[in-house]
Amino acid sequence: MKKEIPLAITFISGFLLIVALFVPHRPFGDLEQRFNDWYIIVAGFTLILGVDSLLAHHWKIIRRRQPGAFHSMALILSFIVTLVWGVWDGLKFGNPFDPASTFLRYFYTYVFVSLQATMFSLLAFFIASAAYRAFRARTSTATLLLVAAALVMLGNVPKGYLAIPPVVAITGLLLAFHFFREGQETAETTMRIVYWGTALVILVLLYPVIQFLYHNLPAVKDWIMNVPHLGAKRGILIGVALGAVAISLRIILGIERTYLR
Amino acid sequence: MFLTLALGLLISQTTPDTLTPPPLIPLPVTHVRAYDKPNDDGGAIVVEWELSPMDSLITKYEIFRLEGSPDAEPVSAGFVLRGTTKFEDVGVQNGKPYYYFVRSWLNSEYMDSEITSEPAIASAQWFHRGRLNALIILVFFVGVLLYFLQRAKSGGELYIRRIAGLEAIDDAVGRSTELGRPILFVLGLEPISNIATLAGLAILKRVAYKAAQYGTKLIVPCFDPVVYVAAQEVTKEGYTEAGRPDLYNEGDVFFLSYDQFGYAAGVDGIMVRERPGAVFLQGYFYAESLILAETGNSIGAIQISGTTAVTQLPFFIAATDYTLIGEEMYAASAYLSKDPLSLATIKGEDLVKLIFILLFLLGSILETISLLTGADLHFLTRFFTTY
Amino acid sequence: MRNFWEQLGKIDRRIVYLFVFLGASAPLFLHVVPKFKASPEVVQAYQAIDELPAGSVVLFSIDYDAASMPELQPLLEAMLTHVFRKDLKVLMMGHWPLGLPLGQIALEKMAKRYNKKYGEDYVFLGYRPGLAAVILNMGKEIRTVFNVDYKGTPLDSLPLMRNIHNYNDIALLVGFEAGAVGDYWVQFAQARFQQKIILAATAVVWPDLYPYLQAHQIVGLIGGLRGAADYEVLVNQPGSASTGMASQTVVHILIVVFILLGNLGYYFTRTWRKPT
Repeated sequence: MKKEIPLAITFISGFLLIVALFVPHRPFGDLEQRFNDWYIIVAGFTLILGVDSLLAHHWKIIRRRQPGAFHSMALILSFIVTLVWGVWDGLKFGNPFDPASTFLRYFYTYVFVSLQATMFSLLAFFIASAAYRAFRARTSTATLLLVAAALVMLGNVPKGYLAIPPVVAITGLLLAFHFFREGQETAETTMRIVYWGTALVILVLLYPVIQFLYHNLPAVKDWIMNVPHLGAKRGILIGVALGAVAISLRIILGIERTYLR
Repeated sequence: MFLTLALGLLISQTTPDTLTPPPLIPLPVTHVRAYDKPNDDGGAIVVEWELSPMDSLITKYEIFRLEGSPDAEPVSAGFVLRGTTKFEDVGVQNGKPYYYFVRSWLNSEYMDSEITSEPAIASAQWFHRGRLNALIILVFFVGVLLYFLQRAKSGGELYIRRIAGLEAIDDAVGRSTELGRPILFVLGLEPISNIATLAGLAILKRVAYKAAQYGTKLIVPCFDPVVYVAAQEVTKEGYTEAGRPDLYNEGDVFFLSYDQFGYAAGVDGIMVRERPGAVFLQGYFYAESLILAETGNSIGAIQISGTTAVTQLPFFIAATDYTLIGEEMYAASAYLSKDPLSLATIKGEDLVKLIFILLFLLGSILETISLLTGADLHFLTRFFTTY
Repeated sequence: MRNFWEQLGKIDRRIVYLFVFLGASAPLFLHVVPKFKASPEVVQAYQAIDELPAGSVVLFSIDYDAASMPELQPLLEAMLTHVFRKDLKVLMMGHWPLGLPLGQIALEKMAKRYNKKYGEDYVFLGYRPGLAAVILNMGKEIRTVFNVDYKGTPLDSLPLMRNIHNYNDIALLVGFEAGAVGDYWVQFAQARFQQKIILAATAVVWPDLYPYLQAHQIVGLIGGLRGAADYEVLVNQPGSASTGMASQTVVHILIVVFILLGNLGYYFTRTWRKPT
């Protein structure tokens, strides 16, 4: 029974919601909304469980004097200060976020906003280090990825085109050098001609490519975003949507039950 | 043209002895019609009209409703701005006839349109016709799934390609055990109604099972309180299935914060303090994805990520060791459990996907031909359009 | 020499961070503002607002919080400037409760600058939980969700609200997105009620919303700090977004240079290792 009842609830609610999608007539039409309302109520109560778990977890660390107890104390203290201050101003002004409240003026503006903005700004640093580490031309597809990334990054800022001549020149010369060496190392004459020919073509095309990118960088960026990027994205999204239908049916039919105990 | 006419009329009427010109009277809207709003649960009538020729001067249009007969007392149903040709009246009752007219206002002057000749009666529909295409696709999808389920029951062979990210789960848990470090599992930011979260829970169960077998500590900080409750249950179940319920520590699965960057800061702190040997980032992520993945990388943990958030995939691919891309995540529980019924649904999904790809190709070809020749070959596009 | 290339491929992450920090902060201290032209998507969004007749109602939805404030707050202020200059009416609400005060601060600031009156020219509705349920219910009657404004004043006692009942009465919706709420606006308000929508998103979320613009489900898309800077240019009021453009340019170029250095290191280390 411990599994049968939840499975029956899942089946009935899943099936009803499918019916509700196709039947606008009452009582089906507004079922989706009704279920949403129920979910909000249940989720509201679980938040209490969540807060209880958080405080119990940190209280235990403090009591046992485990490593990091200082952090736990900071957490509990911040929790109490935020709660008391918010409730106090809520009672005093009718809303803790009232323009006149000290909670908004001091706590929200000078503590909360700064903390959040600091966390988000870490992204700038992490994007740089991750890009530096991961964007290596290991394979031809990885090379395409890094070239596209560099063009979009430069195309997205006002003076990005200024970096095009040195970056493309160095990349082009490196590629030409690579093919020249490959040609030198190969024993086969035909292949040697192909490699050296490629190196020559790269050198010849280098200047026109730099010219083109220097003058059309935003358009190139837009093309990358509108065509290859959107194509790939739609492909993944359609796959995800079909996968979601399949997994939903698995859940409704009770085949997938890992989320149950 | 009408504007010139109206202004001409205004000038011709202005006699030398009048000091103030008479007010400009707006021209009315035309062709007013009202009908029951289709595909709804009743209580709504749509009113449509053609704009007043003086639309650019109009202040607003006011829609009036007459209940029962054209001679009834008009009641204002609402206003719309100039340039609008449609209004949805939601203040009506099902089964009663209503007539309408539209009043064009120009400052304090107005002009009424003719009253609609036919009454409109609101009613509820039993089938949403605009979703017929979705119903056909759903029935077809379910049919294919049932076929494959039947095949699986009769013992048919079902092959699923290797998914590196899922194969690496056991190794990651093993490596963490060898290093004597805990395992960190992050379920993303979405609630339990998001399928990526459910898929993450399925992977969590497997990780909990393996962690219990090896006797390694598993830490699961949660963002959503409902997910937290589910994560507790799933982890406990994983430990129980491995025969080690005694190792399960309730305090290791906990709620952290309901704030995106507060959560990211919290998880980063846990990573730096606890130094887990393996980090699993499985669920739906937003901008915090890279903050988590880079910190995980900096402490030298082996990282297996998975998400259906397309924008975050590049970050995961760049910063973690293995990434489950989109639907690979959904396949996880079937892949890991090797349950033939679950595998059958994946086979069914693949077949449906193949059919969709062929339809998209066909649609592109038909649309291109239509564009080049002007022929009306839009039937496939029309079929897939929602109304 | 080999050692040099190896080092180039393994630059310590803290050195990368130091360069990013200097690249981002130096232009801010030097107050360098580069000149640039607004991108077409932002111009499209600007025009959608510009074409609205005076008195039209624009609904702003604050679906971000302090984390994305540097990107979205300058844009919100620029858009409010535009809207108030055009004598449009403003409703403001939000799905991220902790971000709503940011909307409120910007709204009060701009309303004061353009002498707008609360209740007549703008109304702050606040937050209600439920996301999809809120958006769907607003399609029928706003009062089923917000029967009072954020101060507790009944909507019917506010002159602006008297004729506003549902999406029929809202000429344009502008969603400021740092997460997935934009999808809900499109899937519920646009798909079911044909609401005209502009989405303004952080640079991380922006690519996610691109398909909606291409499918004409939204009438404008403004992305990241660049989008905000573009809008500041269009309303001729350079602010913090325009100032941030110099930092962004330097950091983007820095990242590309680091990628290049990493690849040079990788290539030559590999070439060296090749057996001859």
